[in-house]
Amino acid sequence: MSMDAFLNDAASGLGAEHVNTGAETLVRYGENTMPGGDRRPSAVLYPGSTEEVAALVRLANLHKVPLFPTSTGNNMGLGTRSAPAAGMAVLDLGRRMNRILEIDDTLGFAAVEPGVSFQMLADELKRRGGQWMNSTTSGPPQGGMIGNALDKGAGYGPYFDHFGFSCGMEVVLGTGDVIRTGDGSIESDSLVNWHVSKYSFGPILDGLFAQSNYGIVTRLGVWLLPRPPAIRSFHFAFPDDGDLEEIVELCRPMKMSNFVPTLFRVANDLYLIGSEVPSPAYAASGGRESIGDDARKALQREHGLGAWTVSGAFYGPSMEAMEPQIKRVVDHFCASGKAAYIPHEAALEKPALACAVASFSGEPTLTELGLLKWRPGGGNAWFTPGTPMDGKVANEFQELGRAIYEANGLDYQVMNVAGPRFARGLHVISFNREDPDESARADAAYRALAEAFYARGVAVGRAPIDWQDFHMDKLMPSFREACNAIKRALDPNGVIAPGRYGIH
Amino acid sequence: MKTAFTAVQLADPGIAAADGILRTCVHYGFCTAVCPTYVLTRDENEAPRGRIDLIRAMLERGGRPDAKTVGHIDSCLSCNACMTTCAVDVDYLHLADIARSYIEENYRRPLGDRLLRRLVARTVADPARFSRMTLLARLARPFRALLPGRLRTLVDLAPAALPPMPDLTGTHPAEGARRMRVALLQGCVQQALAPEINAATVRLLTRHGIEVVVPAEAGCCGAFTLHMGKADMARAAAARTVDAWHAELERGGLDAVVVNASGCGTVVKDYARLFANDPARSGKAAALAAIARDVTELLAPDDLRLPDTTVPLTVAYHDACSLQHAQKIRNRPRALLRAAGVDVRDVPEGHFCCGSAGAYNMLQPEMAGALGRRKAGHIESTGAAAVAAGNLGCLAQLARFTGLPMLHTVELLDWATGGPLPEALKRVTLPPPAARAKAPVPASAPPESPPPSASAGGTPGAAIW
Repeated sequence: MSMDAFLNDAASGLGAEHVNTGAETLVRYGENTMPGGDRRPSAVLYPGSTEEVAALVRLANLHKVPLFPTSTGNNMGLGTRSAPAAGMAVLDLGRRMNRILEIDDTLGFAAVEPGVSFQMLADELKRRGGQWMNSTTSGPPQGGMIGNALDKGAGYGPYFDHFGFSCGMEVVLGTGDVIRTGDGSIESDSLVNWHVSKYSFGPILDGLFAQSNYGIVTRLGVWLLPRPPAIRSFHFAFPDDGDLEEIVELCRPMKMSNFVPTLFRVANDLYLIGSEVPSPAYAASGGRESIGDDARKALQREHGLGAWTVSGAFYGPSMEAMEPQIKRVVDHFCASGKAAYIPHEAALEKPALACAVASFSGEPTLTELGLLKWRPGGGNAWFTPGTPMDGKVANEFQELGRAIYEANGLDYQVMNVAGPRFARGLHVISFNREDPDESARADAAYRALAEAFYARGVAVGRAPIDWQDFHMDKLMPSFREACNAIKRALDPNGVIAPGRYGIH
Repeated sequence: MKTAFTAVQLADPGIAAADGILRTCVHYGFCTAVCPTYVLTRDENEAPRGRIDLIRAMLERGGRPDAKTVGHIDSCLSCNACMTTCAVDVDYLHLADIARSYIEENYRRPLGDRLLRRLVARTVADPARFSRMTLLARLARPFRALLPGRLRTLVDLAPAALPPMPDLTGTHPAEGARRMRVALLQGCVQQALAPEINAATVRLLTRHGIEVVVPAEAGCCGAFTLHMGKADMARAAAARTVDAWHAELERGGLDAVVVNASGCGTVVKDYARLFANDPARSGKAAALAAIARDVTELLAPDDLRLPDTTVPLTVAYHDACSLQHAQKIRNRPRALLRAAGVDVRDVPEGHFCCGSAGAYNMLQPEMAGALGRRKAGHIESTGAAAVAAGNLGCLAQLARFTGLPMLHTVELLDWATGGPLPEALKRVTLPPPAARAKAPVPASAPPESPPPSASAGGTPGAAIW
């Protein structure tokens, strides 16, 4: 490997101003929120086009230099923009490749580059009259849409599945070759179906580039939802941890029929309250103990939230027109007498629930970044298993997860994002990264959680960089070998993010 | 972030305060994505995260700051977009103030820089001196090519002419039953550059039952010099204003201190901190800070006394940084304007600074120009016929980069509720008056969402829903 020769050649092609080896910059690009430490890169490069990315990949092959592409670097809790290992050359696609290439107001799609954030597209759609909305996460507004879709990120509305609602890619392979997927693969200047049809002649290659290191996606089509004239949310607070069983049973039919068009956000007390305030109990034990039940109950009362709070929304022509749907959903959730209904207007007064409303509305929001200060010291990792929408199973999983958090002196913060058959469980592990003991407990908790869930046949949806090899090792050998064989075929010198997602 | 101050250093209240702030930063870096100087330069030291590290090193090291650190602190706009996005609430605003004061006390700038900063600090905060200097700048304009760079910028920034400056001091009684009594901050440069803003404010408030007092002794709030690191100069100016307002508070009672320049409002709301070490004024300052309000906070949409017809003007609303990031006021001005019948357009990249930032566009003209052009482009992309904002500095900066009429929010509200047509709109062809539509119920809309798509021609949503 000759990093110096690679950087010299890269500077000749890109311009020296687009190759950064400044010490301050390299330190920052290696930082993350994981217990495993930072991974300082050798350089940061700023390509400005697909052609420049392809040229850099060819140069990397020539000099046998590993590259690590990032988009906006906001993958907080999963690795930020830190490479799997130190010493790689970061391709920061967010700096110059941040253009909205196309918005089709007839067919309802946008084509974006990797640096386009949720906020940027939301701003542009609003500027154009607000007839469309993009699905957003409740994470950082400056998060990149392509990076999120490729990491299997999601929002909360009907188009929540960001990879599923993408269509048509441009990809630089590990060889430096450029391909277009789907109908974009036609040798033509008129690619009218590129971003509207997923299924055309030939294999569907798009999936190869989700959670992999086979190529660098430089363009993606994303589908847009017509913005409804009115969005009316509803929320229900349930008092007890064990109420999750009833909640899941209540949500399932509402989603199975798609009576409720959004996903359900089923968030526990500390997930919602943690987005508003730091832990009031941390200092007392120096972070060695979980917050107690009495303190949790006090927080629930103070914030007017339950042990679990369920949120969803209807889309319609006016607030009044949705009254019948609201009545039906209130009758449904309040039938057992356990739920307290929180209407839309009241929810807007509670930041954690207003954040849910914004998420249903395609509005990027900063509120949930507050979760990052629940404990001091900046440590944050996300464990993302899932549960079938079976109340008993979901409840068993929450008891299992809660016990592991408590055994490690951490605070159980989780939101189940529920569809008809499956709910993704976003488990936040908040810890003091400046405290070695607490960091070690966070690592131990993550591994114990993963082992416990694998023992019940459950993998994660997304994996933080510290544990990607660990997760890959849990998969069947033939699957792992297939992944590695594809890597050898598309990236024979292994120059793109070697080790990312456990693929070597 | 870990710090390494000695016990001796921590005995200094400024260092102790900085230490507390520095320790909260954990380098997440959300601030970088929203920092205008970082986005334009991609230099880590041009981002809040990098600057925080530089400030830590500067204060830990003590003694004379190095020129590199001073340069990176000088280039910070103090727009505080970083504070809005920071996940752990790092108090960058006050850390930057501490750093600037430290630089002011411990760093000797080159002579030209010193003279320029002195000229700016003494001119802008004094309306009479500002008027005289404007005249001088006008005389110097034919020779601008001969002037050194930043002096040339000052000449370029000076207005061609100043309007007459009406005397608003005294008491302006409420129309009808009085429901509030407030003191209005006239501001310093605003009195000379745009007196129509204060006049519109007085008309608007008195029309809505609010008695407005403008004490003759109250002058500059100190914001302008404070952000140049001249804390003592800022406190001296602010002290006079605090004394004048407090005298008014004791004489006739005050429900609020009203500020219509959001850069000033941010500092007035923070007076308790500015005077924390002044036993003679700390109590007074805290009492006034507690009742300080931006002018839009005094009125609710339902309060507006509106005629039956409205002029449906399309206006791009520009969020001044001091209003949205420091005072966290985003919705109220929009709600008031919409209630008044204005078609309010949000400006893309609304979290970004326009480059005004107090003295910034005078001292850092290159970056300020780049930001001004960028913001003007976004504003024009909305298709609006005019621009509204709650801070004169922004309006003056934006006027350099777009020909659209610039209006303070209160000018539009004053006009919509029976005041005169704002001067800036006299050169615009206005749409014909229309019957006033029933105001939307604010609670029925999701937060920060655009209005129901009345302005979206051919919206597919209308057909579907």
